[in-house]
Amino acid sequence: MNIAWRIVAVIIGGLFIYAGVIKVLDPVEFAGDIDNYKTLPWPIGVRLAFYLPWLEILCGLALITRVLYRGGVFILTMLMSVFIIATIVAKTRGLDISCGCFGHASQYLSFAWHLALDFLLLGGLLFLWRTRLPNDGALA
Amino acid sequence: MKSLLRQTAVLIGLALLPSIGQALYYRDKVSWQTPVAASEMLTLAQARGAADLIWIDARPEEEFERERVPGALLLNEDRWNELLPQVLAIWAPEKRVVVYCSSESCGSSREIAHRLRKEAGLTNVFILEGGWEAWKKEKP
Amino acid sequence: MNATRILFLSAACLSVAATAQAALVWEKTTIELNPTLGAPNAVGVFKYENKGDTPVRFKSAPRTSCGCTVAALQKNEVAPGEKGEITATFNIGDRTGVQMKTITVETDDPQNPTTVLTLKANIAQLLELQPAFVFWQAGEEAKPKTILAKAGKGVTLKNVEVTSSSGDFTAKVEPGAAGQFKINVQPKDTAKPLNATLTVKPDAGSGPAKVYYAAARVMPPGTAKP
Repeated sequence: MNIAWRIVAVIIGGLFIYAGVIKVLDPVEFAGDIDNYKTLPWPIGVRLAFYLPWLEILCGLALITRVLYRGGVFILTMLMSVFIIATIVAKTRGLDISCGCFGHASQYLSFAWHLALDFLLLGGLLFLWRTRLPNDGALA
Repeated sequence: MKSLLRQTAVLIGLALLPSIGQALYYRDKVSWQTPVAASEMLTLAQARGAADLIWIDARPEEEFERERVPGALLLNEDRWNELLPQVLAIWAPEKRVVVYCSSESCGSSREIAHRLRKEAGLTNVFILEGGWEAWKKEKP
Repeated sequence: MNATRILFLSAACLSVAATAQAALVWEKTTIELNPTLGAPNAVGVFKYENKGDTPVRFKSAPRTSCGCTVAALQKNEVAPGEKGEITATFNIGDRTGVQMKTITVETDDPQNPTTVLTLKANIAQLLELQPAFVFWQAGEEAKPKTILAKAGKGVTLKNVEVTSSSGDFTAKVEPGAAGQFKINVQPKDTAKPLNATLTVKPDAGSGPAKVYYAAARVMPPGTAKP
């Protein structure tokens, strides 16, 4: 098992666990952040605010433990892609968003840096996508 | 491919458990239908119908001096510290506090209402729907 | 080179390309400020350059999202190649926490007639009182109630001095956990309505002196329990 891929998996998995935990701690704030994108109606956004962070945490764990690994990479890749598109769309609509991806810890990053970080994460996920694992991390 | 779908489904399903648990815990603490609990806004008609009311003007001082709702107290973000005590001196739990600012879209009344609830612990704090504009329309 | 890599790169290029067309190019459209504790205002300077080949003129004075922020144009017309700046001054007042104020700039640039500049200020707080208001119902037992005086982030509180505007209430300060102070307020009795403003003077050793207020009351009889 290539050690470089393992390290990347742990770092990215850890990041998503961290991001998920921050949002689990304040789902109402996250619901507000989702609402700021003005793409989803509130009732859907608020329910997603309770669901997505846990999904992030589980997928982050999948990356680190290599259990359900490919499922984790796939879901996180989809989440990141949708999120990046939503962010770019919101910005072109002139909306003032404070991301919400890392909770308000990331409000200190400017938009450009934010987007760069997001693309980096997406790149990392795509990189991990090609990792060959024995049994592909499937359960049993 | 099949194992990928299976892994994805397992992760998506597993994440539902803690998220539903958390949503149940928060069921009374979150507004599930509207972004701002409708119970935080009062229309002009409702405000005028209420027996014991405290009007709070959250606009800049010059605007307050020029014209205001009769009997309103000035409490804005510029002089919050200094002006808060006079509001607290007349508040009582069964009185309604209605905060207004220049228009529906201005954020000051929301900020002031939020601080009154959070920092001063006041209950029954509302925002006037339509703001000062609504009052002016009814009383030229 | 696989499809996913190409997709990834083109998405990146597209987002960069989307911002490249404007004639008036802003160095930053969001400025974040961290004014020092006690500063009365925070100033952000938004720099721009006319990278097009026609002059750009500002249609009017910039509009700010609140009366607490004023924005001044340096000049009304910007020649091609010329640089300039807009200075935004945000009057902090008694605001706390993260404050976002916007400045809307209108120009005659057909590609970008309206630009929204954002000033984000992280207002440091010297002191936080939790809660700022304590009260007793008429006839309620006149036990002391506590107001917690917490230091703001990065601030160490040496002491807080509390004086009551009325002898009907006593306020005693005792140190609490980790740099916090407990202000124990007690009315002399709850038989009749009483009212006092507590003046709280934090002592942080150095830095600006700022006075905070809390209130204590005994409610008139007949008020409902909240």
